[in-house]
Amino acid sequence: MSRWLGLPGYAGLGLLLAGCGGQQSILGASSPAASHIESLWWISLASTGVLSTLVFLALGYAVIQARRAAMEERAEDADHGGEGRVILIVGALIPTVFLVGFLTLAVRTGSVVSAPDETPERTIEVIGHMFWWEIRYPDAGVVTANELRIPVGEPVAIHVSSADVIHSFWVPQLGPGKIDMVPGRTNVTWLLADEPGEYRGQCTEFCGVQHALMSLLVIASPPEEFEAWLERRTDPPPVPTDVERRRGLFLFSDRGCDACHAIADVAPAEGMGMAGPNLDDLASRRTLGALRVENTPENLAQWIANPHDFKPGVRMPATELEDEDLEALVSYLRGLEP
Amino acid sequence: VSDRVRGAVRLDDERERSLGEHLSSVWAPPPGALGFFTAVNHRVVGLRFMVTAFVFFLLAGLLAVAVRLQLSLPLLDVLSPEAYNQAFTMHGSTMMFLFVIPFLEGLAIYLVPLMIGAREMAFPRLNAFGYWVFLVAGVGLYVAYLSGHAPDAGWYNYPPLSGPGYSPGPNVDFWVVLITFLEVSALVAAVEIVVTILKQRAPGMSLTRMPVFVWAMLITALMIVFAMPALILTSTMLGLDRMMGTHFFNVAAGGDPFLWQHLFWFFGHPDVYILLLPGIGAISMIIPTFARRPLAGYTLVVASMVILGMLSFGVWVHHMYTVGLALVGLNFFAAASMLITIPSSIQIIAWITTIWKGRIEVMTTAMLFALAFIVLFILGGITGIMIAAVPFNWQVHDTHFIVAHFHYTMVGGTIFPIFAAIYYWFPKMTGRVLDERLGRWHFWLFLVGFNVTFLLMHVTGLEGMPRRTYTYLPDLGWSALNMISTVGTFIMGAGVFVLLWNVWWSWRVGPVAPPSPWHGRTLEWTTTSPPANYNFLHVPLVGARGSSGEADRGDAADDGGDRPRWLQALSEGRGGRRENIVTDVLAAEPEGRVVLPKPSPWPFWTAMALSIAFVGALWTPYLVPVGLALTFVALVGWHWPSGTGAPDEPADDELTDRLTGLKAPIVWGVVLLVAIEGTVLALLVMSAFYLRLGAEAWPPQGMATPELATSTLRQGLLVASALPAWMGVRGFLRGDRRRFLLGLAVGLVLAGGYLVLGGFEYTDRAHGWDTHVFGSLDWLMGVYAAFHVVVLMLAAATLGSFVHRGARGAGYLPAAQGLLVYWVFVALGSVLLHGAWHFLARW
Repeated sequence: MSRWLGLPGYAGLGLLLAGCGGQQSILGASSPAASHIESLWWISLASTGVLSTLVFLALGYAVIQARRAAMEERAEDADHGGEGRVILIVGALIPTVFLVGFLTLAVRTGSVVSAPDETPERTIEVIGHMFWWEIRYPDAGVVTANELRIPVGEPVAIHVSSADVIHSFWVPQLGPGKIDMVPGRTNVTWLLADEPGEYRGQCTEFCGVQHALMSLLVIASPPEEFEAWLERRTDPPPVPTDVERRRGLFLFSDRGCDACHAIADVAPAEGMGMAGPNLDDLASRRTLGALRVENTPENLAQWIANPHDFKPGVRMPATELEDEDLEALVSYLRGLEP
Repeated sequence: VSDRVRGAVRLDDERERSLGEHLSSVWAPPPGALGFFTAVNHRVVGLRFMVTAFVFFLLAGLLAVAVRLQLSLPLLDVLSPEAYNQAFTMHGSTMMFLFVIPFLEGLAIYLVPLMIGAREMAFPRLNAFGYWVFLVAGVGLYVAYLSGHAPDAGWYNYPPLSGPGYSPGPNVDFWVVLITFLEVSALVAAVEIVVTILKQRAPGMSLTRMPVFVWAMLITALMIVFAMPALILTSTMLGLDRMMGTHFFNVAAGGDPFLWQHLFWFFGHPDVYILLLPGIGAISMIIPTFARRPLAGYTLVVASMVILGMLSFGVWVHHMYTVGLALVGLNFFAAASMLITIPSSIQIIAWITTIWKGRIEVMTTAMLFALAFIVLFILGGITGIMIAAVPFNWQVHDTHFIVAHFHYTMVGGTIFPIFAAIYYWFPKMTGRVLDERLGRWHFWLFLVGFNVTFLLMHVTGLEGMPRRTYTYLPDLGWSALNMISTVGTFIMGAGVFVLLWNVWWSWRVGPVAPPSPWHGRTLEWTTTSPPANYNFLHVPLVGARGSSGEADRGDAADDGGDRPRWLQALSEGRGGRRENIVTDVLAAEPEGRVVLPKPSPWPFWTAMALSIAFVGALWTPYLVPVGLALTFVALVGWHWPSGTGAPDEPADDELTDRLTGLKAPIVWGVVLLVAIEGTVLALLVMSAFYLRLGAEAWPPQGMATPELATSTLRQGLLVASALPAWMGVRGFLRGDRRRFLLGLAVGLVLAGGYLVLGGFEYTDRAHGWDTHVFGSLDWLMGVYAAFHVVVLMLAAATLGSFVHRGARGAGYLPAAQGLLVYWVFVALGSVLLHGAWHFLARW
């Protein structure tokens, strides 16, 4: 009967959830805020589970009772007095008591997770673009894309905004949840990683054709490692010396790559080089296309030739290049490492 | 029922039969192909709504299958990203706008008159008009889909993504134009349902004796009246942004994308309860019938529905927890959202109590769907409580957890009741009972398939899978969960196929249904299955509450019993007129009778003309005035005096034909129209305040403060114009037709002055609507007011010319009163817009 379906459902759900915790899982919290919210989930699952099971049992019993009454041909109970009182007590009083408790917990959790205990010393700006993330370390003057590096063990303030449509910034394991990236506004959230490692983020406001593959890699490393990386990144990328790479650099402007992509010393005139990710540290990035594929020379070449193979509909156009030109360009780009 | 019921005549069987034949010919839907376009009968229109909506349900279901196939494994290529975005946008838009609301409205249009003992809805032609509008809008959306230009920015269309900059193609235009058009249909049906319920209940059916389904539809229709205007306003703004270059949502020119979100969800959240309440009403009819006892806690259930309806207007921000608003405000909305649990659980406990103390003799398919509804509604409700908690929502917002949650509420809360309703009322509508064995197959396949699809989807969401994504990468561990969901979709689909087969088979050769196959005790079961053209041979008298199964059947179906003389006269269809009794709002005491219009092709033509205005906007804005002009012509044809109006000669009984003021259904219709337009107006004023508060300078730098004198002068003219109109209507009430015409003429001249001065004022404007959102607002408010004055003047001139021709004499009195109500609204509305605008500019 339908009334029993809820129960194995819960059991199954509980068992399944126990084994969760992937790289983008709400149930794999690696920060104080995410852990608080994870506990809130378990408490609400348990409490509503108990309450609704009681209601299901009552419904099941009612049906059995009504079937039996029909089989025994019991007469209709004409006395309906007191039913209203029962309905009010069970239907209004019990949920009210539960809701007061649950709302209190929710409000407290909300204020605990909405801001870190200590004021963050570092601010990182993340700007949403269709369909990638621009990441700025304003104090150090460093710009990168799609890979957000943070130091472990300290809260980091994240200021988000958007260059085009509304996106939403979400790193489930490290933050207090999502914050929308809205053009014309700056919203503030924070991240804190308990452990060094790689975490996944994802755009969670539908932003167009490639919303699905707009992911973010968060790399949490020990503070000294992070500082060293930031320090390295303040230097411009090395100027190519060998012939092939120099030709790659030439092609980079000749073929108009620099209309959208900035590379420190190559950055073209004002207003250009803003539409696509900054490529200063391209060679050191783990992935291409906001986590779409691993950053290998082959994938990079294919991406340049036709990014739509990986992400149909992205704004970067396919580029027709002779094989050797493509090789030169890839070779130049592969040298961009701080 | 009052004294008037006493004093009766008795009829013999022969007289009954000839009366039935006569009434049947009076109320017969027109025959033939031409008749197809002219029919106005509520049961014809209601069935059309339901059948058409169900076709859209099947289409949306196919889209869901395509979506699930694409997601069954990572990086599949079943749908391109563009095709996927169109598919989920169309799936959501279709289910929300083209299936659930029209289907439930169709159900109400079919059932409400039968449940309240009426022969017809209050405005039959409006009913037919609403159907044609729905058909054009729905078909238009699918023509767009087949042409490859389906909307693709989600059913909620957030700008700037849906704005001209990021969705330059015609795709979103189709959504904006057709969904706005469709809301016209939803709104006319709502007005119709409210007025029918309030004014055309059988004598004795006081509000406290009304069946719960009728209560649910009354509340739902009132919610539509106050919620849909927000959608109409905001989609109009988006359409103007896209087609006329205004800046309501353009950050660069002072607009604000959050304005869209507030207005959309101010409609969108009540909309969820608009979808839910009719189902709650239907379940509250079905459970008592099969539990063989009245609904426990009738008053509590009705009160809970009223409270749900009201609360649903105060929770829209819970769709916006992540946009960056202050936490204090969010907690307020969290509390309001959680409050919804209380009326919901009161209803659930009332149903359980009803069953507990009842006797289920047969476990019918309808009852199975009703029981499953309770379970799924609870499951959807508890995840609803969870996501009302702000921090948990921050995590699961826009993940598959939400997809699972709202499918439990929407499928569990509306589609399961719809299926229950189909099994329950199919015999009444077709005269055949649906097959129970197939019904069980349908039930179990759909229930199992539904849970396979959506139960584990909660986990998919908790594992971090976002919504509205056409694919995902293999290493995220979501593949197995997604595959299970896809398999479930096919099981659900199989269930729907069984239903289709069952309907097709049973309609042709199923067992013939008696008048009351389930021993239901409300009025619709007292007439034949399917009902005769006239629904009830005699207007029923209600002695006790029908809803809880206590309809006093001796009173309700006493064919040939003692009848009051006035009621008898009403039953006879004098002069071939379609008449219905009119009763008062609270106690349903008889007040008089109305003559309802006969079939007409004009509702069809009006819908076509209005389609030119709306659909034409897709090509060029210039088609809008053309379409509106044609609409006016069609409306004149619609209202052209025919010979079937109320008779001028006094009737030979005690029931008056001369209903005025709030006794007249048409005045209620106008009051509801004013409620709709007043809501649009109020939201427009609030939007102006919102945009002004978000602006640094107002007027923005370089733009002039609008000049006050001319504007105030013309407001004065408009207010003054209502005065002669009022005096004219007062004269008309005393029978002085010339005085009425004179009043209208003077009023028209003054209102014309308003328009002329307005023309001067706006041609003087240094800014256009495309300079800044300041200009966009200025023009929209000015045009909104002026458009209403034009409509008012056309209506006044038309009514005046009809009265001048003398076609119906005093029959136009309630129309004149309605016109006056509208006149006062237009004048005050213009003053409010004007006052708010100048206040903001100088504040």
